[in-house]
Amino acid sequence: MRGLEIAGAWLLGILWVAPLLYAVWTAFHPAAYATHFSLFAPLTLHNFVQAWNAAPFARYFLNTTLLVSLVLVAQFVLCTPAAFAFARLEFPGRDTLFAIVLLQLMVMPDVLLVGNYHILSQLGLVDTILGIALPYLGSAFGIFLLRQTFRTVPQELDDAARLEGCTLLARLWRVYVPLARPTYIAYGLVSVSYHWNNFLWPLVITNSVSTRPLTVGLAVFSSVEQGIDWSIITAATLMTSAPLLLAFLLFQRQFVQSFMRAGIR
Amino acid sequence: MTRPNPQALRSCQLPAGAAVRLRSVSRRFGAVTALDSVSLEVPAGSFCVLLGPSGCGKTTCLRIVAGLEQASGGTVEIGGRDVTNLPPAERGVAMVFQSYALFPHLNVEENIVFGLKARGVAKPERARRLEYASAILGIGALLTRRPGQLSGGQQQRVALGRAIVAESPVCLMDEPLSNLDAKLRAEMRHELLALQRRLGITMLYVTHDQTEAMGMADQVVLLHDGHIEQDASPAEIYARPATAFAAGFIGTPPMNLIPLEPGEGGLVARGTAGPVLAPMLNTQTLAGVRPEALRLADGGIPAIVLHSEYLGADTVLACSVGEGARVLARLPGHAGLAEGSRVRLAAESCDIHHFDAATGRRLGTAAQAA
Ligand SMILES: Nc1ncnc2c1ncn2[C@@H]1O[C@H](COP(=O)(O)OP(=O)(O)OP(=O)(O)O)[C@@H](O)[C@H]1O
Ligand SMILES: [Mg+2]
Repeated sequence: MRGLEIAGAWLLGILWVAPLLYAVWTAFHPAAYATHFSLFAPLTLHNFVQAWNAAPFARYFLNTTLLVSLVLVAQFVLCTPAAFAFARLEFPGRDTLFAIVLLQLMVMPDVLLVGNYHILSQLGLVDTILGIALPYLGSAFGIFLLRQTFRTVPQELDDAARLEGCTLLARLWRVYVPLARPTYIAYGLVSVSYHWNNFLWPLVITNSVSTRPLTVGLAVFSSVEQGIDWSIITAATLMTSAPLLLAFLLFQRQFVQSFMRAGIR
Repeated sequence: MTRPNPQALRSCQLPAGAAVRLRSVSRRFGAVTALDSVSLEVPAGSFCVLLGPSGCGKTTCLRIVAGLEQASGGTVEIGGRDVTNLPPAERGVAMVFQSYALFPHLNVEENIVFGLKARGVAKPERARRLEYASAILGIGALLTRRPGQLSGGQQQRVALGRAIVAESPVCLMDEPLSNLDAKLRAEMRHELLALQRRLGITMLYVTHDQTEAMGMADQVVLLHDGHIEQDASPAEIYARPATAFAAGFIGTPPMNLIPLEPGEGGLVARGTAGPVLAPMLNTQTLAGVRPEALRLADGGIPAIVLHSEYLGADTVLACSVGEGARVLARLPGHAGLAEGSRVRLAAESCDIHHFDAATGRRLGTAAQAA
């Protein structure tokens, strides 16, 4: 029984990692070896050089970095006070409002594609990085997560800070936010990886090199100009996902701990 | 544990205490009345203990004085100033919470000066007060640790340190010793009292442990169901409990309350033929006798021994009197009485207290009534 479980785990692991391994294989070898395995195939970085020069990837990297940072900072800034209000302040209609916020969790973002495009074009934000980010800045998931964390902060800590003369904002900043750090890290990771990989919405809302994020840039690159050269496409793909992959491998332990502490698994 | 450093202690100016006065303070939570028109006066520099069973409103009372809770009615005065509508930080109170409420993300030093930073106290002054507090409490070696790396007793000292550096004239403590083991608790009791005396601050101290209250207080305020049962010195509350509740709460073991019924020549313990324990004035009467006031003597109340517990210096005898009233007697030495043996328990008439069974009010001792 136990042997079966281990075999199953290995099988799933291999299935999951196979495409990645194939990508690594193809990217580091000349095109001739893309579909033909040989232990002595010569290693090369030529594919990366070619991919990097074939499309403005530097610009795409910049765009994605700007986009991801903008979304992350705005989500932290907007979700924190909202979550605090839902967790610790008393005001009429609080629970109803919170239920409405939670409703947003059930709406798939793709459903709103057309509506969002319409609004953003009225705002004149089509083909801007702010335009890509705007629909995601107020996050129900973030508000929910932070509210749950803030509610676990002992009331006596809040009272102690109040007695020492801290204002509402000072208490939020000096007591609640530091105590919720694991949640911020975990949520930040989810947000960054989601927006790094997000494709459909940026594809719809952007149409120039100066705004396109990596995902869209990669799609444009691999479909038209290159024909189907797997070596170069896999090299470009590895290149674009490398920062996330590296970050996760480096900080794996901290991430997992944060997830455990934040109660997301 | 390092001992206090006398030099640091001398170089410091002591904050003086301030009187605290509550005038018919009430607090309702929906249908629950946590405090019912409580009036109370604590002189400057004295040690006042709020005592009572769980849920009687002690914490609520303390939080109202601190301003963390708003009273539904009544006023709070500190140092002669009406503070009812002032925010907590402007009332001149420091507080030690039951859970200590140390910030887990800050180290000991940062925890202690947290309030001083929030109030914008200058850095040299912060350093002076920190040094003073850590010298008094002997926590100089712990300053860089996080609360999670401290024992319960050490955490308690840090919480005290935070209260000391505030240099507030009034200090509020909510069951600060309840998380400590018995030995440490006894030790901290002495230290707390010595500290309060040295600083000269006014202390409002909450506990449900009556030995703690008797040992520390200048003034004991006994609360029950949101009202004050008795507000007196420990000696007074022990010698002349104002109500049956106070009688049954104070003392180890507490006072015996024996229901009486009319008999020959006066009131006798229910189900016995005598002796007379009270004059025939109020037929609904309870007789109160402290276990340590009872002795074995002919002509006493007839009783049957249920069991006896030998404690070394004395023996606590649990007896059944008349129709099943349970009476404890504390006899010196080793009394060595078998279960089921018949004894007679007597007390001086001045040691017999009387309470109205319906209202619980004190009716005066037998000597006065006679
Ligand atoms: N925020 C609140 N909402 C509703 N009821 C409350 C609230 N705080 C206290 N109470 C009620 O008020 C009464 C007094 O509570 P309080 O906490 O003052 O008791 P206490 O004497 O401190 O008890 P303990 O010794 O258990 O700490 C209790 O019946 C409690 O249920
Ligand atoms: Mg309490």
